[in-house]
Amino acid sequence: MAAMARAATTSDAFNAIAEPQRRNILALLRAGERPVTDLAEELGMSQPRASKHLRVLREVGLVRDRKAGKQRLYGLDARGLRPVHEWTGGFERFWNESFDRLDAYVQDLKQAGQEE
Amino acid sequence: MSATGRGAAAQSATADREIVISRVIDAPRELVFEAFTEVRHLSRWWGPEGFTTTTQSFEFRVGGEWDFVMHGPDGTDYPEWITWTEITPPERIALLHGESRDDPNAFESVLTFEPDGAATRIEMRTVFPSKELRDEAVEKYHAIEGGQQTLSNLAAYVTELLRKGAES
Repeated sequence: MAAMARAATTSDAFNAIAEPQRRNILALLRAGERPVTDLAEELGMSQPRASKHLRVLREVGLVRDRKAGKQRLYGLDARGLRPVHEWTGGFERFWNESFDRLDAYVQDLKQAGQEE
Repeated sequence: MSATGRGAAAQSATADREIVISRVIDAPRELVFEAFTEVRHLSRWWGPEGFTTTTQSFEFRVGGEWDFVMHGPDGTDYPEWITWTEITPPERIALLHGESRDDPNAFESVLTFEPDGAATRIEMRTVFPSKELRDEAVEKYHAIEGGQQTLSNLAAYVTELLRKGAES
């Protein structure tokens, strides 16, 4: 049950990358696959903590792992990033940024209207 | 496919070929609506930070057209064409958006404006003719913004991440 509750809060990539440490892990994995011990050391966190983050990232499909001898290596899984990529880029970003400007512009209009 | 589509499973039949963007703007609905009705307004906010527009013609009425060029911050020009198919002040605007009058890939967006207390909620629902065209639009707008530096750290970061991930 505890596992299910945790999964519910991090069931998509957006929730998963809302956590700064998990973004740090993803940033490190850009350079290539790494074992958990490396990641934990680099980020100054305990290994269980790093493992927990990796598990969340794996559950949402952002990270995949594979066995290499005695080690388990973690790497990026681009497929899970696709919805994030679509959301943050392209059409939606175009409109989100346009709406930012619209918001600022309408505030100017509002103020100009009040001053008249 | 199944992994990325899961979240949209409960959506409408067009869910895989539409994009919905909404925003609350802290201003009365009439004022927000007005910002969509005149080129002197639109030219002040259309496009992301750093973009400008040059308008060839503009006639805000059903069947009227807005023919313009959008200039990216890197100097690239993008021809744009819009025609309005429905205008219901101050509630709703439906428009067809393409690169030119004859663009077979033009797509329809419906903007709705709803009061949200003293503010206004805008929702823009764009339905593409097919999932392929939706994906194409996503990629095209990626390209448009490719040279941009104003994007949030997250956007830059994730894009880079995806590229690296795809290579490995």
